[in-house]
Amino acid sequence: MKIAGAHTVPAAREWAFALLQDPVVLARCMPGCQALERTGDGEYHMKMKMVLASMSGLFDGRVKVADSCPPESFRLTVEGAGKIGFMKGEGVLTLAAVDGGTGVAFAGDVHVGGTLAAVGQRLIDTTSRMLIKRFFEKLGAEIAAGEAARAAPYPGDLY
Amino acid sequence: MIPQAFDYSSPRSLHEALVLLENGEHKVLAGGMSLVPMMKLRLATPGRVVDLSRVPDLNRIAESGGVVRIGAMATHHEIETSPVVRGQCPLLSEAASHIGDVQVRNMGTIGGSIAHADPAADYPAALVALEARVRLVSAHSDRTLDAADFFLDAFTTALAPGEIVLELEIPAEDSSEGYRYEKVAHPASGFAVVGVAVRIKKNGAAISMARIGVTGMGPRAFRDRAAEKLLEEGADIARATAAVGAGQEANADLYASADYRRHLAAVHAARALTVALSRAS
Amino acid sequence: MATDRYLAADAADLVEVDYEPLAAVADPEKALAAGAPAVHPQWPDNIAFTFHQEGGDTEGAFRDAEVVVRQRITSQRLIPTAMETRGVVAEWRAGERSLTLYSSTQIPHLLRTLLAGILGMPENHLRVITPEVGGGFGSKLNVYAEEALAAFVAMRINHPVKWIESRRENFQATIHGRGHVDYFELAAKRDGTMLGLKLKLIQDLGAYHQLLTPAIPTLSVLMMPGLYNFPNISADIVGVFTNCVPTDAYRGAGRPEATHGIERMVDILAAELQMDPAAIRLKNFVPANAFPYATATGLSYDSGNYAAPLKQALDAVEYPKLREEQKRARAAGRLMGIGISTYGEICAIGPSPATPAGGWESATVKIEPTGKVTVMTGASPHGQGEETTFAQIAADELGVDIDDVLVVHGDTAVVQYGIGTFGSRGTAIGGTALYYALQDLKAKVKKFGAMLLDTQKVTLAGGTCTDEVSGKSVSFAEIAGAAYRALKLPPDTEPGLVATRFWEPPNFTFPFGAHIVVSEVDRDTGAIEIRRYIAVDDCGKIINPLIVAGQVHGGVAQGLGQALWEQAVYDDSGQLLTGELTDYAVPKAHLMPWIESSHTETPSPVNPLGVKGVGEAGTIGCSPAVVNSVVDALAPLGVRHIDMPLTPEKIWNAIQQGGRA
Repeated sequence: MKIAGAHTVPAAREWAFALLQDPVVLARCMPGCQALERTGDGEYHMKMKMVLASMSGLFDGRVKVADSCPPESFRLTVEGAGKIGFMKGEGVLTLAAVDGGTGVAFAGDVHVGGTLAAVGQRLIDTTSRMLIKRFFEKLGAEIAAGEAARAAPYPGDLY
Repeated sequence: MIPQAFDYSSPRSLHEALVLLENGEHKVLAGGMSLVPMMKLRLATPGRVVDLSRVPDLNRIAESGGVVRIGAMATHHEIETSPVVRGQCPLLSEAASHIGDVQVRNMGTIGGSIAHADPAADYPAALVALEARVRLVSAHSDRTLDAADFFLDAFTTALAPGEIVLELEIPAEDSSEGYRYEKVAHPASGFAVVGVAVRIKKNGAAISMARIGVTGMGPRAFRDRAAEKLLEEGADIARATAAVGAGQEANADLYASADYRRHLAAVHAARALTVALSRAS
Repeated sequence: MATDRYLAADAADLVEVDYEPLAAVADPEKALAAGAPAVHPQWPDNIAFTFHQEGGDTEGAFRDAEVVVRQRITSQRLIPTAMETRGVVAEWRAGERSLTLYSSTQIPHLLRTLLAGILGMPENHLRVITPEVGGGFGSKLNVYAEEALAAFVAMRINHPVKWIESRRENFQATIHGRGHVDYFELAAKRDGTMLGLKLKLIQDLGAYHQLLTPAIPTLSVLMMPGLYNFPNISADIVGVFTNCVPTDAYRGAGRPEATHGIERMVDILAAELQMDPAAIRLKNFVPANAFPYATATGLSYDSGNYAAPLKQALDAVEYPKLREEQKRARAAGRLMGIGISTYGEICAIGPSPATPAGGWESATVKIEPTGKVTVMTGASPHGQGEETTFAQIAADELGVDIDDVLVVHGDTAVVQYGIGTFGSRGTAIGGTALYYALQDLKAKVKKFGAMLLDTQKVTLAGGTCTDEVSGKSVSFAEIAGAAYRALKLPPDTEPGLVATRFWEPPNFTFPFGAHIVVSEVDRDTGAIEIRRYIAVDDCGKIINPLIVAGQVHGGVAQGLGQALWEQAVYDDSGQLLTGELTDYAVPKAHLMPWIESSHTETPSPVNPLGVKGVGEAGTIGCSPAVVNSVVDALAPLGVRHIDMPLTPEKIWNAIQQGGRA
């Protein structure tokens, strides 16, 4: 399934770019992320607990940042598998300065399989977009609270 | 189609239920029309299920001082057929009549439905159009929210851990009002691809009050205040509803794209308004 | 082995499968493209087989044609969705070295034979019992791995084993149906005379061959001329592997696809020539005096009067008046459509050379010593009601009360060998085997009756045997008792009253009919309302009108399912997205139109009962009538064809595009 959208991050472009690749920030902002561990260059192992309505499931997966062109764009892959199914989201995030911070546009594919996909077809689109929205909301809140600023090891060792 | 083992509690009082639910991991069973299928698919694996069906008076429906109070455990069938609801807020009764099938309406409850907050559920359209309020209680709190503030996103409500929906408070509809719930049902699930609930008050030929609630189209039910305003300013139905859903996120699935859902919302808003207008006096 | 379902599910949950996803292809046309992932590495082009059939001079017909219409037409992949999912109970009796297998199957005897081979055990130590089956529609016309597995495990652990398929498993492990992409070309003269038909049929096979997978599209090709006098036919089948559930027989099995194709093409030709769709059909039907009729695909149509049901259906809707109403509706901006489908089917499958396992059927009739009648049929009905139909046949032939007849089926230890239930064959073949067994017994009963009455000529009716001369009579029960007591026997006659017949049909039967659908499309939303549904079916001689009506209604429901709602959808990775009944829309009672069902009766000369078969008729006749009706409704907008299912959004898009064109 194709997915695309845009959110605004209340930070300057370079700063926003760095935050989006910071494992500490990602771990805090990704909905349900319980642990994120670096396993290689731009690659992380992730444990995630998805809770949605009465549904919940543990996912084991990885996060990968690639094709990094600071501060303009990078490719983000998030994938996970658990008892209730598996999912993979991959897309390019493009950053541009806008009023009030940085506009982050994304376009890519979400693929869901297993029980989740077989029985939750009508919800995949809605919930994918909701999870992305939650991520950016959390990121905005983190920035606003100044938490992100202290946590981000800018310029960091990511690139 | 076999759930994982779970513990089951069937509290006999509200206090007992709320104390149990202080453990935020427990799941509330309030009819089970969504929870039980999820459990059977093992998409939901609660350690303990707290069944509210034996808590007394949670299904009470009564009106006083122009406010209809509907207990969270009132079933869809009770709401569909209750003389109080039919008389005082018939829009809700009409919406209830569209839910699932008879078996579902006999088991499912309004509290369970709204706490689940399925984006394709029928009630939310009516509740936002009725400007209903939702009373939430926990062992330590008791608060009341506007329905529009209760539904946050798909499957996401303002309920905090340990809180349950206690009842709904619905301002009685004026007997001169016209109302209508129009629904496009998914041919497989029966869920609303789009559902539109409207209320209308007439002043002579003019519309003095309009409320339009839309469910199914987006991640949560919404009131289309722009269209309401246009109607109240004298726009005809076609013009007022042309942009229903504009600016709102729209869902897409195998059955209906986002554009088609948006289109259906506008078409059925117009149809609902036409019927409501014919019912208003 | 788990001791209950909960434990089994918990244990299965503990298994963590680490999949390495391979490239997949879920669409048959994409599977044919260069560079597509190979479903089986040993067949890199994904082509399982090709098949060519030709009759007459098709190239000549297209050369001489004054008009040629072409259309790509799909018959989407469907999930049979029997109400009862599959289920197996296996019980091994070690002492007797015997295995009893209960299975929800359409073919108990064939299952037993094949299982004996799979399990490597003597066939006569294996008993298959098929109790009442909650629907099959072809999906249980197979031998599935679980049947062998349950048996194997029961033998290994020396304990009965039960396996019941969940609905999700049913969607992903039981065969699917249809899955056609058809490219049709139809050559005609400008006066509407149809000259030749070409078809390229791409069959989505799924990932493996099930029992009849490759045979299904060949049935489509055999029936591609429909009811029309087509001298020239050319067809090519390409059977394509995809990463999907195997396709196989599903109610109609190849014939709905064929009928949908030809009936859409005839309408497209009629539109091209601005002819009335009823008139173009009447012009091209095989004439009533041409039977038996040899088709260009090599079949011999047994009997028919194809114009009769169409005329009856046209009368039922008052066709000329209806077209006038349509004109007025169109003038008022409404989208009203009238759709006709005239279908033919190939049934009573079938002569043994046409089937992989024998095309005959068997019946044993036993008149018990008390005069009660037990019928054992190999036809193994699974809900069609042959318990009643066969009891009627037996009661009528023997002159006994229908309540004295018991029809037994579905137990290989009780019933002689049989083939099973599929291809609208139960009554036409199984009923005929019964008929002949009854003739044998009738003769024997009369011999005993004549002996007891000490006369030569007797008649058998009303539960008694009567001397035609003296009028004296003896009861059926007395005769039965005497036949078993055997104090005295007629000349050259053995004791007992049991007869068995295995009947091999000399040909298929070819039922036909006409369905008309009056529809109205909501211009604003694309929603379709079926205003009227007329079904005139000719299934030969009707034995039980109520059972025939039930078959027509159920068949039409499944046809409507395909036309309007059902579609198995896979994503590109081979994930089934319609994995539950929340997304896969089967027809429901409240979505059904009123069906105005009637019949014409053209007996089949193939069997003495004159019956043809009706189990699949409704499904075959339905979908083109619906689509023709909706396309007719949208014709003023320039719409020429829409593929199934006709979802409102698809119709709305067609309206939008038509409005712009």
